[in-house]
Amino acid sequence: MQRYLRNHDAISEAEQAVLSEKRVLVIGCGGLGGYVIECLARIGVGHLRVVDGDVFEESNLNRQLLSSTMNLGRPKILAAQQRVMAVNPLVEVEAFQTSLTAKNSIELLAGCDVAVDALDNIQSRLLLQHAAKNAGIPLVHAAVAGWVGRVCVIQPGQDLLNIFYPNNNEVSAEEQEMGTLSFTAALTASWQAAETVKLLLGKPGLDGEVLIIDLLHAKSTKIKLL
Amino acid sequence: MIRLNTEDYPWKSGMTVRSLLDEKVFTFRHIIVRVNGEYVPEEEYETQLIQDGDDVIVLHLMAGG
Repeated sequence: MQRYLRNHDAISEAEQAVLSEKRVLVIGCGGLGGYVIECLARIGVGHLRVVDGDVFEESNLNRQLLSSTMNLGRPKILAAQQRVMAVNPLVEVEAFQTSLTAKNSIELLAGCDVAVDALDNIQSRLLLQHAAKNAGIPLVHAAVAGWVGRVCVIQPGQDLLNIFYPNNNEVSAEEQEMGTLSFTAALTASWQAAETVKLLLGKPGLDGEVLIIDLLHAKSTKIKLL
Repeated sequence: MIRLNTEDYPWKSGMTVRSLLDEKVFTFRHIIVRVNGEYVPEEEYETQLIQDGDDVIVLHLMAGG
């Protein structure tokens, strides 16, 4: 298929067929989620389930790929759905305009091969980790603040988020003071999408490690946590 | 010598988590410190001694997406 010609042979035709059968849950369609959705749709992941309860605000425009001056005030999931349809209509998109809750998490994760944590707050991230563990699927976590991003893959039961967020009642984090820059979100999300695709294809990826990307100092570091 | 985020860093007698953070001038306000795989709460930064050979990890507390 011409559409995927330039995926090959980095991804084989057999792997392309595998991707078309996979379903990925992307929770959060903001700075990280927008780019993750873009990457996964273009590479040919067959089914995307996108979740976000928010609408676009003017302050999203500095970094969120799916936001534009034309869709301020409109649901983020609608923009995600329209973008995927425009880029790759072969991809099935299920869109849910809701926040993640303990109640809806089981339904949202059902049938998914991988969950992508593109959320923006600690409580929801911990809830997602718990839900992914219960569903028995890997979680690809990323977070950004200012010039710094991080990515890790969390297999069921590894609970790496407990290391990043040891005080689960914490509400204040770095991004509230540092903001988030466009390239930090784009690069971190791209790495997150790559780890997602590797999981889907059974390729080795981050394993008990966190990848830290520091764009200010042009440096990436991989730290073993387990 | 200690390991600090996977890199070698000189150890000094009497080094605490606080003195290490001050020395390295970590500019982020919200951080998580782990020594030999154990989380160190902020209230213990002044008293937690770092030993020669310790593995210290300093992570940013960030949740932006």
